[in-house]
Order: sequence, then structure tokens, then C-alpha cells
Amino acid sequence: MILKPKTNDLKVIGLYTGKIIIGVGLLMVIPLLLSLFRGEWNPAIEFFIGICACLIVGFIAETACQTTRDLTWAHGLVVAGFSWFLATALGAIPHWLSGHFGSYLDAMFDVMSGFTTTGLFLIQDLDHVSLGLNMWRHLLTYAGGQGIIVIALTFLIKGTPGAYKVYVGEGKDERLMPNVIYTARAIWLVSIVYLIVGTLTLWIINLVNGQSILRAFLHALWIFMGAWSTGGFAPQSYNTFYYHSLVFEIACAIIFIAGSLNFALHWAIWTGKKREIRRNIETISFTITMTVAMLITTAGLMKLNVYPNIMATFRKMFYQVASGHTTTGFSTIYSRTFVRQWGPIAMLGVIMAMAIGASACSTGGGFKGIRMGLIFKGFVQNIRRTLAPESAHMVEKWHHIRTRVLDETAVNMAMLIVLSYIAIYVTGALVGVFCGYEPVQALFDSVSAGSNTGLSCGVTSPAMPALLKIVYIMEMWAGRLEFMSLFALGGYVLSFFRGR
Amino acid sequence: MKLMPIKIAASLTIIMVIVFSPLFSQSEDRTISSSTLVEKANAWDGRTVSFMGEAIGETMRRGGMCWVHLNDDAYMWKNIEEGAKLGGYNSGQAIWVRAELAAKIRFFGDFLYEGDVVKVDGIFNAACREHGGDMDIHAVRLEIVRVGHPVAHRINRQRLMQGVFMLFLAGLLFWVRSIARRKRI
Repeated sequence: MILKPKTNDLKVIGLYTGKIIIGVGLLMVIPLLLSLFRGEWNPAIEFFIGICACLIVGFIAETACQTTRDLTWAHGLVVAGFSWFLATALGAIPHWLSGHFGSYLDAMFDVMSGFTTTGLFLIQDLDHVSLGLNMWRHLLTYAGGQGIIVIALTFLIKGTPGAYKVYVGEGKDERLMPNVIYTARAIWLVSIVYLIVGTLTLWIINLVNGQSILRAFLHALWIFMGAWSTGGFAPQSYNTFYYHSLVFEIACAIIFIAGSLNFALHWAIWTGKKREIRRNIETISFTITMTVAMLITTAGLMKLNVYPNIMATFRKMFYQVASGHTTTGFSTIYSRTFVRQWGPIAMLGVIMAMAIGASACSTGGGFKGIRMGLIFKGFVQNIRRTLAPESAHMVEKWHHIRTRVLDETAVNMAMLIVLSYIAIYVTGALVGVFCGYEPVQALFDSVSAGSNTGLSCGVTSPAMPALLKIVYIMEMWAGRLEFMSLFALGGYVLSFFRGR
Repeated sequence: MKLMPIKIAASLTIIMVIVFSPLFSQSEDRTISSSTLVEKANAWDGRTVSFMGEAIGETMRRGGMCWVHLNDDAYMWKNIEEGAKLGGYNSGQAIWVRAELAAKIRFFGDFLYEGDVVKVDGIFNAACREHGGDMDIHAVRLEIVRVGHPVAHRINRQRLMQGVFMLFLAGLLFWVRSIARRKRI
């Protein structure tokens, strides 16, 4: 029996959603200040309107939904799902007012892409946008990478037992500390230290590469945000191809690979457990699947003789595959080069990398290394059981921060989520084919959207049908929140009509 | 009568010039688009091309050479900030050129400027051996076709008024929220 939500349930959801929306509005203060500093008056007004809209919606929600009730699991998941949608709708205001988007749907596409750290974009004439808007694009992806709910937990929501439930709803379930608020702060501590070190490194590289001091700094900051959050946005339309620098590409790869690792793994290394990096199921899984994807892609490139020598082949292959596998979406080739030069075998290698994706509780998307590891171990355990004598008791272990015994529930849960990802990848691809795109190309961009990667082979464009834009928005949203929040939100909406 | 052959020859020459001059000038001005180079990269690989586009971003100097990016998209002559209609993504090519040639470029396109429109002649590389497989044009000649200019940004007063009104509304709601909170306590 489905229970119809009561007024008190709606109040709890409204209250926490309101707090998160106020957080999104406050985040816009950073691009507003940059616009004012650089004398970009119209963009400054656009951010001002965006901030006011968020505050108005947030204050109305907080006033109308006064309650002292704490969050239940269902509330937490619904708040996560709903607040991401509302944050996207309101975060798109400065985008839309900038005049660089064909429709509000396009603006929402870019904001959802930013928050979910996907990196696909529909912004037009990116090379002429204001510094303020570029800051907002990258801030979206940086904040989205850590989780907008993590931000709200850190700064706006005081410690409540229910806070953990919203945190889980955002696709994160690691408790680095006993208290979820301290966990959220630990995630920010890790991210901000990396931000400072990474930005300084890229700034120096950009200066050596010939950029002016201010542009070198802003590009370094934005590229760091895009890399660490595995978002893939870049300030120029050429993406990271703009910089033509091997050192720059190596630095980016280090940052996005670090960003794709589990926060719990980062925390373990920070607290001195360096052996964890070699023992962790996700790093082992990542190394194996990355190697397989690289081999497939290299075979495709060598078959078509795309690059003049092995060094160029390796450089291009490694960067695109690592970017795909970490679900970053940075690229040093044109989108159409995948189709016109790389060919279907290499594209399938990249599709595989994107589909598997990064680590759980990281900034990345996709199946996640932990689930690949669990499914593989479950598969091995089943084979061993089949071959062993009936009286034998088989125990399979796996290691993630601590060593655990493999149980069937964990494997089944991993399988369920992986199947959900496959379902959205295939749905997006089918809609793409329905809209007239080649199957491999439709699959490439669909997997990219669903796994929150951001690489494109040219399907994603402002001219693509609105239906496909909506499907990709749904894929990005579902992929980032790992389905549970959206299932809960859908169930909640359904319960209004069917519940008792 | 003696002048007749000269007149005929002169007339023929003028007719020839009038008839064929557009063809000559067209062949000189014929530039290739970035979309053609990307879509048919292998066919154009290693060939000498003329490419024209708006210089964007900046020059990035590497020793005596530098990188310049030229966009030949819908915003090449007028960008969105100046009121151009939306025309899709940016598109262009990376140009590897001698720094002294690139020094001719005065304006680079961004939010504040419409960049110089530049024409280059050079060799197109679908996957450059010298630059780690990058797609680029190694230019040997660079010419400024149109000098860029600062973009005039007029403050949108109507939008400013909307913002002020929304600020007032947000302030009012903040006050109402504070009262509601106090009453609850």
C-alpha cells in the first residue's frame, strides 16, 4: 500500500529544498563579484537577478514550510532529486539572460550538465562569453562535483540526524567521519587543498605556455575545476586542445584521475594509509578496465593509421580514454574527429571506458569501479562454487578501506545499479537513432550523458531535437544521483494520485 | 586605319580582364572552411590551404613561433555580444605561425572585443607529426583582412530595474521569514 504524503512530509521536503536553493543563489555571488571586478555590467545584473530569484524561492519555501521534524530516508531522497531539478531551473537564469542560448531548455541543459559534472554543452559563441558566465559554468561543475547538498550541509544545514539521508540521496554514502556534517567538511577540505595546489601548477604551466597573467590564472582555475570535478567544461570552445601542451595535458590527467578517486580513498591516503591505493578494489578495477579500453582504442587507431607515430597515437589515445574513463570529458581532438578519423573500433573503446566510469563517492559517474569489482568477484565466486566439492565453504573477500566478506546482497545491488545504467544508455541511444543519428554515434553521446562524461562525437549540438535534449537531461540527472533519488521522487509524485 | 589592330587588341584585353578577373580574384580569395577540414581531414592532409577566421583568445608564444586560433563560424564578423543571431557552436582551426607574423594581430575576440579577421596560407595537418597529432595549419603567410574593435556594451536598464524590484521582494520575504521563525520559537 502506498501512503499519501501528509502536509508535514511536504513541509520537511520544502524546508530542506529551500535551504539548498538559497545555497545555489549564494554561490552566484562569486561570478557576480568577478563581473563587477572586470566591469562586465550586464552579466553582473544577470547574476544579481539569478541570486534574487533563488533567494525569493528559498525564502518562500522556508516560510511556508516551518517544521521541526527531521528527515526520513524517503524525504532525504526526494529532497536530493527535487532540489537538483530546481537548482538547475534557477541556476539557468544567468545562462538564459546572457543571450548565448537558443532556448531556456538549452540553458537548463548546460546547468544540469554542469551540476552533474557531465560537460556536454549547448552554449553558442562560447569564445565571446563574459568572464562572469565562464566562472559560473565552472563553479557549477566544481560545486556539483562535491555535491550541492554537501555544500548546503557544510554551510547552511546545522547537524541533524536526517542530514545523512539527503547526503546519501546525492549518490554518496561514505562516512569519512562519524558525523555527516564533518564528512561534508572533510570532502571540502580535500577539494580546496587540491584546488590551491592544482590551480597554482596549471597557472605556472599556462604562463610558460604564453598566456597573460590574469588569463593564465583564470584558465588554470577553471581547468582545475573542470578536471577535479571530472566535469569537462573549459573556457574556450577548443576545450583543452586550445593549449597545445604535453605538460599541460599531463597535469590535467593527474588532476582528473585524482578527482575520479573515491573520497574515502583520498581520506585514507591523507590520514597516512598509503597502502590503501594498491589494495583498494576500485583502483585495481580502474587499472584493469582502463588497460582494456586503451588496448581496444589503440587497436582501432592503429588499424586506420590515424596518427603519424606511436608517441602521437599514445598521447591522443591516453588522454581521450583516461578522460572518458574518469568521466571528465576533456578532449584534445575535435568532436567529429571521433567519427571522421578514429572510426568505430576506437569509439567503442572510449564508449566502454565512459560506461564503466570512475569511483563511487567521487566526482565521477558511470557504473563505478567498486560495482565492476563486486560483480567480477561475485562471478568468480560462483565459478569456484560450481567447481568445488559440495561440502566446501567458499569465502570471497574484497577490500575497500577495510576488508569485507563478499555477500550476495552487495553483488545483487551492484548488478541492479549497473543494469539501470545500461537501461538509460540504451534508451538514450534508441532515441538518438529515432532522431536520425547513426547507431554508434547515438550510443556514444548517450553513454557520455548517462555516465556524466561529456565527450561528444557531434550528436550533441544546439540543433539537435528537443526530445533528445530532454532525454540527455534526464540521463545526466539519473546517472549523477544513481537512480534512487529519482525513483523516490517519482514514487512520491505517484503517491499523490494513488496513495491512501 | 593604322590604329585599328591596336584598338582591337586593347578592346580584347579589356574584355578578357572583365570576363576573367572575377575568376582570378575568386581563386585568390578561395578559403577553406574549418568544418570541411575536420570532416574531410584525410583528403586535405598535407595540402596547402588558405584559411580565414576571427582571431580569438590570444597568441601563445613558443620560442620564435606561436599558436593562434582562428574561428570561421557564424560570429566571425559580428559576435552575439554585438547583436549577431545565434548560429551554432564556434568552429575554427589552430594555426602555428612565426611570432613576428602573428604580431600583426591587434585584437583577439572575447567578451570585450571582436577580434581581427585574419587570413593565412599554410600546410594543413590532419594529425601533425611535430605537435603530437594535433590538427593544425602551419602558416607561412598571414594577412589582416579586417581590424577588430572593442565591443560597446550598453547597460540594460530595464533588466537593472527588474533586479532592483526582485531585491526588494527578496528583502521583504527575508523579513517575513524571520517573523515566522520567531513566532515558531
